[in-house]
Amino acid sequence: MPPITIMAVITLIASVGLWGGLIYACSGRDRRYLGWLLPGLPLSAFVNLLVKKPLIVSVGEAANIPPGLGLATPVWFIIFLWLVPPVTEEAVKVAPLLWPSARRAIKSRTAALWTGAALGVSFGLGEAVWIAYGIAQSPQYAAYPWYAFTGYLGERLVVCFCHGVMTALVVTGLQQGRGRAWVGYLAAVGLHALLNTGAVLAQLGVISPAVAGLILMPPVLIMFVIFESLRRRAAGDPESQAAAAEVIYFRREPDRNAE
Amino acid sequence: MRNESLHFKPRPSVGWAWLAVIALACIGIGALTALPLLHADAPIGILLLVALPLPLIGVPFLVLAIWFPTMRYQLDERSLTLRYGPVLTYQIPLNEIQTIRKRNLSISLLSSMRLPGLALFTVHYTDLGNVKMCATAAATGILLVETAKHKYGLTPADEEGFLAALQARIGS
Repeated sequence: MPPITIMAVITLIASVGLWGGLIYACSGRDRRYLGWLLPGLPLSAFVNLLVKKPLIVSVGEAANIPPGLGLATPVWFIIFLWLVPPVTEEAVKVAPLLWPSARRAIKSRTAALWTGAALGVSFGLGEAVWIAYGIAQSPQYAAYPWYAFTGYLGERLVVCFCHGVMTALVVTGLQQGRGRAWVGYLAAVGLHALLNTGAVLAQLGVISPAVAGLILMPPVLIMFVIFESLRRRAAGDPESQAAAAEVIYFRREPDRNAE
Repeated sequence: MRNESLHFKPRPSVGWAWLAVIALACIGIGALTALPLLHADAPIGILLLVALPLPLIGVPFLVLAIWFPTMRYQLDERSLTLRYGPVLTYQIPLNEIQTIRKRNLSISLLSSMRLPGLALFTVHYTDLGNVKMCATAAATGILLVETAKHKYGLTPADEEGFLAALQARIGS
């Protein structure tokens, strides 16, 4: 058994517990949204094998650019490589909403927020498995003990949350209407590209993987702020008000003598 | 009869267990970090720098867990006082209370003293902003007492009795 397997299982359990728990707790213990943690699981493998890889290979071959050039790669192709994952992944993550019954489920801003967050986390879980599979295929990692992959655990935990926020942005936009859908999608693509900047620079050899990890932090903080902002806006819609289930026991009458 | 002070307990929760688990995890991880350094005869300065911060964080959690049974709501003739050990006392003059309502709150990701089954001190909520909490629930079924300046969150076990006594004293 490849040593990454144990850490991948720990990562999946921790991610489901943490982010699934967050979605459950913050949505007012609504179990409906937990079901959306499933449909995104195969989508990372799907988009990597059937969309990103063929697209990058065919464009590279058409332009006669061999892989692994590092900084000698033409700038336009680096930008292309940088943008392919955000553009394709942000679109494929909302693919389960093509089902008409799934679209009907996002009738409010609250439902859009938590459905999107769960779909994004679901994609993140699948991506963690896909990356673990990639590491398991690489002989250079076979000699490490399983506990040497704590970097994988930390990165995937954080990235799972980020996928949730980005997809919540897209689905909230979709719920608002066609114009807003594009705004949400482009915002998610921009954030995703920002998140990937460190990894792309590390692959080009411009910075070390450790610095790439540090560069990941500011976009993650931005994600937290966006997530809170989405929740604040959703708190105003009728579904959230109903979930709050307020009962007023006492309200002091205005002092008429003061008028 | 009216001058006597009434004491109400909060509804039961496992908030103390969360505090204890966090405290023991911090102390345990600190100890595990210290062990290899002790075996390697590391300088005492390095040992303290590496192994001490986590237990230092854990001890206050342990102390809060020990004080958990002291959470009380005290109703006097003129004020309602929320207490948790010697570290938390919120006194609310009855004549300043504007509303009393019960609702579920929407928790924020911003850091604060909020765990499943316990919320203490000022906690930020997405829907209501800052609420001064002394409660055995973080978000569900919170009784909110509002004055012009502050919101307070509590969870009395005998909610009916508490509300009846509070409203009787406000009315008088």
